[in-house]
Amino acid sequence: MMPIELTRNRFVKATLRARWPQFVIRAIALAGFLFAILSGLIGTPVGNHNFSIVFVWIVWWALLMLIVVPFLGRGWCAICPIPMPGEWLQNGALLKPHGKGLSLNRKWPRRFRNIWMQNIAFTLLALFSAVVLTRPSITGLVLLLFLIVALVTSLIFERRAFCRYLCPVGGFIGLYSQVAPVEVRVKDPAVCAVHTEKSCYTGSQDGYGCPWLVYPGTLTKNINCGLCLECLRTCTQDNVAFNLRSFGADLKQPSGRKLDEAFKAFIMLGAALIYSAVMLGPWGALKSAAYAIGTPQWLVYALTLLGLIYVILPGTFLIAVALGRKLTHSKETLKKSFVAFAYALVPLGLMAWIAFSLSFVFASLSYLWPTLSDPLGWGWNLFSTANVAWQPYLMSIVPFLQAGVLIGGLLWACVTARRISAEQQQGRNITLQALPVMGFCFVITGGLMGLLIG
Amino acid sequence: MMARSRLSPHWIVLGLLALAIVVVPNPIALAAPVEQHFRIEASAFQYTPEAIHVNPGDHVTLDLVSTDVVHGLYLDGYDLNVTADPGQTATLFFTADRAGSFRFRCSVTCGALHPFMIGKLNVGSNDLFWRAIGLGALAVVAGVWVMRPKGDRQ
Amino acid sequence: MKAERFALLFVIVLVIGVPLVAVLARSTSDTIEMHAQMADNGGWTPSNLTTQVGQPLHLRLTSDDVVHGFAVGQSIIPPVDVLPGQWTTTTLVFDQPGKYTFYCTRWCGPNHWRMRGTIEVTGTTSETITTTPPLYVTLNLDLDAPHPSEVVPDEKPSAIRGAALSVKRDRAAELDRTQSPAQLWQALKAAPETAALTDQQIWDLIAWTYRSRTTPERLAEGRQLYQQNCAACHGETGQGDGVIAPSLMKTPMPGMTMTGHETVAPINFMDAKNMLGASDAILEGKIIRGGMGTGMPYWGPIFTPAQIQALIDYLWTFQFGQ
Repeated sequence: MMPIELTRNRFVKATLRARWPQFVIRAIALAGFLFAILSGLIGTPVGNHNFSIVFVWIVWWALLMLIVVPFLGRGWCAICPIPMPGEWLQNGALLKPHGKGLSLNRKWPRRFRNIWMQNIAFTLLALFSAVVLTRPSITGLVLLLFLIVALVTSLIFERRAFCRYLCPVGGFIGLYSQVAPVEVRVKDPAVCAVHTEKSCYTGSQDGYGCPWLVYPGTLTKNINCGLCLECLRTCTQDNVAFNLRSFGADLKQPSGRKLDEAFKAFIMLGAALIYSAVMLGPWGALKSAAYAIGTPQWLVYALTLLGLIYVILPGTFLIAVALGRKLTHSKETLKKSFVAFAYALVPLGLMAWIAFSLSFVFASLSYLWPTLSDPLGWGWNLFSTANVAWQPYLMSIVPFLQAGVLIGGLLWACVTARRISAEQQQGRNITLQALPVMGFCFVITGGLMGLLIG
Repeated sequence: MMARSRLSPHWIVLGLLALAIVVVPNPIALAAPVEQHFRIEASAFQYTPEAIHVNPGDHVTLDLVSTDVVHGLYLDGYDLNVTADPGQTATLFFTADRAGSFRFRCSVTCGALHPFMIGKLNVGSNDLFWRAIGLGALAVVAGVWVMRPKGDRQ
Repeated sequence: MKAERFALLFVIVLVIGVPLVAVLARSTSDTIEMHAQMADNGGWTPSNLTTQVGQPLHLRLTSDDVVHGFAVGQSIIPPVDVLPGQWTTTTLVFDQPGKYTFYCTRWCGPNHWRMRGTIEVTGTTSETITTTPPLYVTLNLDLDAPHPSEVVPDEKPSAIRGAALSVKRDRAAELDRTQSPAQLWQALKAAPETAALTDQQIWDLIAWTYRSRTTPERLAEGRQLYQQNCAACHGETGQGDGVIAPSLMKTPMPGMTMTGHETVAPINFMDAKNMLGASDAILEGKIIRGGMGTGMPYWGPIFTPAQIQALIDYLWTFQFGQ
């Protein structure tokens, strides 16, 4: 399917280019974010009655994983409030550029220009997740830490270095944004080639140079594009478009695949498996181990998580890839094949997270009603819903949805694996090389099915 | 014209296979319904036993015994709920007339990990799971056989 | 520039205004805000209240962890549930000065019973209430001394069988609260009018005696008190095998000196040898005073004398069947 240029519509284009809509949404998001920090720190310690837990880990997570990431990719990053205070200081402005900002504007160190830091940050969060997800005060502190690190980062380094290289959430949103059916791309690269000012990267009075340190002219994947729409505002040639495209379009791009991103795929897949077992499984000992930070049981949990994510999953996958290469006498290097095939895990992982989130979100969503009326657990009753009882929603349907989502993810992964194989092989060998990878995906899917609907 | 040529025999075969996986009746013969009595102990954040198995149509009595603080048991699919204080066994009585695997979850806030306190009731064989595995296998077959990228058709 | 200022104002109003309103809106009425947590984590906050006779005490209660309940001992104020993250209000009015104990009514772990606090009520009242001290105090009973019964029935004594005996009389009136069933059995065995009965028949007669001095209503009340307050340790069937029992220490070894800090296995009310050697006075004493460090709570400030008697009547049903 050819991308449909949404910005061809005048109204869409004007809305996207306008600063106010995005600014207002972000400001409201910032207020909500600060309120979540406040609520976590001074609200009730009972998680399921505290705004911070309910709105961050249930409502926001549901919106993010079930709607925003699959359909809008980095849409969240476009309105994320976390880097806002830092950005305003950097820019010296809330809206359009004017005057000077406050930042050392250093270049991000070359050796850290990858998402390994994000991988590590996410892994750390996963190790402590049982506590972070359930204790309001810890959630409040983690959110505050996000805010402070983002602020400090932007005072030292240029642009949204935090978002691009540090944010643990941004890492996986970026990876999965490859499947989203929207993109920001230049219409005609030739126009960019002869455009010497490159205002999309350097900025102009209409907007800032790409905050995500990306040159839109050569943008081919969503991973590093934060959908902030600045290039739409700064391009003097009217050469930037916001497109509707087919799902998973970026996965067809053979160029620009990287080991750090490949590992992000394993981290996310492994985390989905671990979370499904720990949080949604029937084994209380696992839950207690994940919660009892610092104890020997927790250490076992931590080592299992690390082992699965960094050794077992990539190791097994490597064997599957090597087997496929052996069967087809591939001439690619093993590393290149390994990295390339790991992108087949992107749709698999995203669907695994959707399946995981479905049961978690619908079981807990009714906590929203009391929390809306009494966000801090102080006994308010703003909307007369403070005493609405907990009631899981759609629990008869959710397992079927989960099955469908997982089967869809597997099919998608297989097709992607085959397509990746086709980049390297001909004829029968295409299938043959991809087959062990498909087998890997089947086993993972089976495991998830066992944990979630078994 | 292209669209029509895509409806190859492959698709028809796969479609029929998928249909078969979804609708083929479970060959396992159903046992005659019996009375089943279970004692489930609830502690933070574990049900013991964590999974129980009954046959479709069984008359099930579940004794919920809380061993530390007040816990509850909400049964997915059946929409049943019961609460038990330590020292006061609560009983849930129902006929297992819906087959499949159902989670039960704590319905009374019992500490930080309360939302993740989960157990399982298996009624008969878990058809959804096995059919999903079958469809998953079929998805692999489809990935190999039918959904070839363009330019890859001999 | 105008837009920039407006944007700044917008952000400030949102970012500072919303939390500010929230914090300011926190109620500052004369209501006392009380938080409940498991005893291990601090119990009630605040745990000591003061008021005056006739002056209402308005409370707002919430739990910070699990389900708790709030009640004031020896009062008719209805107990309320205290649920995690939710608020309950209650108003307490006292017409007698004194020191009251409030306590948790829903089991919340092995230390549930330690979740108590006090209300000091000052002031004067026209009527004077005279309280009689319990028997174990006036008789100076040693509650911790073993009291084994030398005789035990072959089968559980039955009140129905006892009622069918021709020698039955209204013995309920003459039941001595300081006497154990074992002592009563010995007395009946020696008495000429019942000497002709078999050993078991004497037990049946005693069962009928204990059963007929109480009422179904009182037994129901005792049963409810038992289930809510005792069953978690002593077991729903009285066998000392309640859900909390495993966390209490097993029966102490012979020769072991008790430091007062070890807990012991809960008493088995089905154990005839132990139970039949106890009297109403001993049971009452143990309930009022508690186990002094054995894990058995003291219920003196919680239960009224009538409630304690109802509980004792119910405890006897573990030995004396219908």
